[in-house]
Amino acid sequence: MFSNSMADPRRQNKILRYKPPSTDTNPTLEDPTPDYMNLLGMIFSMCGLMLKLKWCAWIAVYCSFISFANSRSSEDTKQMMSSFMLSISAVVMSYLQNPQPMSPPW
Amino acid sequence: QMLLLPFMLLLLASPMTWGRYDDFDDGEDLAEFDDNDFAEFEDLSEDAGMEPEATASPRVAAAPASDQDDDDDEAVVEIEDAQDDFEDTETPDEDIKYDTEEFEGFEKSSPSFKDPINIITVPSHLQNSWESYYMEILMVTGLLAYIMNYIIGKNKNHRLAQAWFSSHRELLESNFALVGDDGTSKEAVSTGKLNQENEHIYNLWCSGRVCCEGMLIQLKFLKRQDLLNVLARMMRPVCDQVQIKVTLNDEDMDTFVFAVGSRKAMARLQKEMQDLSEFCSDKPKSGAKYSLPEFMAILSEMGEVTDGMMDSKMVHYLINHADKIESIHFSDQFSGPKLMQEEGQPLKLPETKKTLLFTFNVPGMGNTSPKDMDALLPLMNMVIYSIDKVKKFRLNREVSGVSSTHAIVLIGCRVFGASLYVSLGASQKADKNRARVEENFLKQTHAQRQEEAAQRREQKKLEKKQMKMKQIKVKAM
Repeated sequence: MFSNSMADPRRQNKILRYKPPSTDTNPTLEDPTPDYMNLLGMIFSMCGLMLKLKWCAWIAVYCSFISFANSRSSEDTKQMMSSFMLSISAVVMSYLQNPQPMSPPW
Repeated sequence: QMLLLPFMLLLLASPMTWGRYDDFDDGEDLAEFDDNDFAEFEDLSEDAGMEPEATASPRVAAAPASDQDDDDDEAVVEIEDAQDDFEDTETPDEDIKYDTEEFEGFEKSSPSFKDPINIITVPSHLQNSWESYYMEILMVTGLLAYIMNYIIGKNKNHRLAQAWFSSHRELLESNFALVGDDGTSKEAVSTGKLNQENEHIYNLWCSGRVCCEGMLIQLKFLKRQDLLNVLARMMRPVCDQVQIKVTLNDEDMDTFVFAVGSRKAMARLQKEMQDLSEFCSDKPKSGAKYSLPEFMAILSEMGEVTDGMMDSKMVHYLINHADKIESIHFSDQFSGPKLMQEEGQPLKLPETKKTLLFTFNVPGMGNTSPKDMDALLPLMNMVIYSIDKVKKFRLNREVSGVSSTHAIVLIGCRVFGASLYVSLGASQKADKNRARVEENFLKQTHAQRQEEAAQRREQKKLEKKQMKMKQIKVKAM
């Protein structure tokens, strides 16, 4: 008796397609972490390359990893790969120019 | 014959002595050669040679007296030999001589054997061992730890999402014709799976039901894949959240704004949300009247709305699952959070949509396991119930006790000598509120809109002029 008392609430004709929410209307909802980390990574790797600071290059590698971990799936992988490659090259160049180990800052 | 024996012995012994002397002679000869080679240095070398001799002599226990009568070289040889007996670090005579010649200045300045030997540590950058690279090893280990955490966190979030979906799937499929859509496929067919936006955000779109347009469910997990976030969460624990947004058609909902949830969430929403700040100006009220827990509060446009919303079933849900409910927000004027405009006010009212918003906290405070997802199922039932309820709920259109037309007449004539208290129906109040908000908005933007209108008029004039000029040119030609 109760099986038909609850009418099926589904309506095939009322289907609406999914529209991804546009980011223009809600800029505050987007997480800025991957973009900041990307920028920071690039800055550190440039510092590491130009000033030949090993620790800068290592921090750049970390930044690019963090940026990758936080990235959205819709983001360009090319951007991610380019910052990653840049940081790796900064580390490699620092060691080629100066193979001695990094001295701790303390 | 008696004399013969000793003489014979002497004769026998002498070759040996001669041998010795021969040795010495050899030594002498060598020394002489050496002297010839280094004749010019002889004096210096002998003087230098005297030093080690002098220092070594106290150490030498016994030096054969007879040897000291011999040449200096020989004596030196003896002493050297003695030194060899007592010390291991001696070189033969010639070497000492060379050493002393080579390191003339050095010997004078170098500390004597009495001073302790200082071992100078070689600076680390000149060492060539793995140990000196400990900072690099630390860095690489840190990176490996980060990668490990990324993989583990990603997998955990994925498992949690799948657990949530498998426990809610049946309920959703019995209520919605379309469960799961990413918007890209040509035909509206249920994908039957979650959209993965991120390593920590999954969403699901359901549509095709009476009383609503569609429902977007967002599973906002913690960033378990980011090690920094994991460490930050150790300081400040945060929950996984499930956010549900039901969008409604115009006929599905009457005009009201209502919110209930934890006190902190209500205070925050009242500040942030456009509609709550405009229509619910009173501070969040306690729900004690409905026996809600103390930490929950209600924001409402009118008392009638609260009474209408808080029916027994809703109260039952709220009390039983109070710890999991962060906020519930029903609004016909929903337009998202307040936008911060840089230049003055926005020119037109933000677009509004009739919406029901639910934010639930996943139990476990971060340490969730897939089993905890089942605890959210009753909350989904509440959501479905709310959708149906909101459709049925209608604000009171009648003036309480008196119909609207009569009320005006009665106010005019004070027949009973007492002031007549007329309360407008809830529906009229709501309409009044909306009209008021719009009016306020229009007032604020009045000046700006005037400017815009003037600009447009000027532009039109310019265009007209240009048209005229063109026509004149054409005629001239």
